[in-house]
Amino acid sequence: MAYSDKVLDHYNNPRNVGSLDKSNPNVGTGMVGAPECGDVMKLQIQVNPETGIIDDAKFKTFGCGSAIASSSLATEWLRGKSVDEALAIKNTEIVAELALPPVKIHCSVLAEDAIKAAIADYKAKEEKRTPAGAVTA
Amino acid sequence: MTYFEAFGMEPKLALDAEELQRRFYQLSRELHPDRFTRRPVEEQQQALEKTSVLNDGLRTLKDPVRRAEYVLKQHGFDIGEQRTKDVPPELLEEVFELNMALEESDREQLDGFRAKFAAMLGEIDGGLQSLFAAYDASQSRDDLQQIRGVLNRRRYIENLVQKIDSSSL
Repeated sequence: MAYSDKVLDHYNNPRNVGSLDKSNPNVGTGMVGAPECGDVMKLQIQVNPETGIIDDAKFKTFGCGSAIASSSLATEWLRGKSVDEALAIKNTEIVAELALPPVKIHCSVLAEDAIKAAIADYKAKEEKRTPAGAVTA
Repeated sequence: MTYFEAFGMEPKLALDAEELQRRFYQLSRELHPDRFTRRPVEEQQQALEKTSVLNDGLRTLKDPVRRAEYVLKQHGFDIGEQRTKDVPPELLEEVFELNMALEESDREQLDGFRAKFAAMLGEIDGGLQSLFAAYDASQSRDDLQQIRGVLNRRRYIENLVQKIDSSSL
């Protein structure tokens, strides 16, 4: 199967590969996977506590070219977005941008799930910091 | 008709492989085209179709992992139709760390990992035997769910072995 130019570009020059400090309260980590193809994807966001804007995003994916490209693209899109804007990213947008064929749509789903997992992790940390009902001066 | 029905066997995960093979030979003989030369074309066709089902069925049922995948699929636990939340974080963490370790390994270390993975697969297959027996007795979805989890881990480890074998370090 032929990969699109955009998939190849992300595959050959993946953006934002790496990891952020998992224990940092401003970092949210999402780890997802698809056992059928052996894929595992880790995606992390770092949120600026002052602005609520994602100022850094990193990923590391073990999987096919489309899974790597989907998560690479996702980190590009995440940077500069608010958490709510990030939650609105849809896998179909990734499919369209990378021209993924139908058999590779699940790779984009994985990337969307990773974004949502990272945000959920970040929000859980945030709630722990300021429990409901707590007075924040 | 399920593959189990095609062989006239109970849909058990702990299937008697010898019995399966014996029935395969028996049924294949009964359906052999030589026996149908004087029969109507329709019957000849049916015999051929049944033979084809038996061939697929034997391939699926004689291998414990394929057999389990088949039964899981029948009960809505298809490996390809799992959602992200169906795969526990501990498993993903384990597989992620193993992938990281492979990426940083030289040839010798990779060989070490291959041996380790082979041992892990052996352990998993041993564990599956008792899970199969447990499901056959209980027919509970909880047991199927547990088998799904073990087969997911097994698939991940097989995938790691393939990575080692295809790496040209």
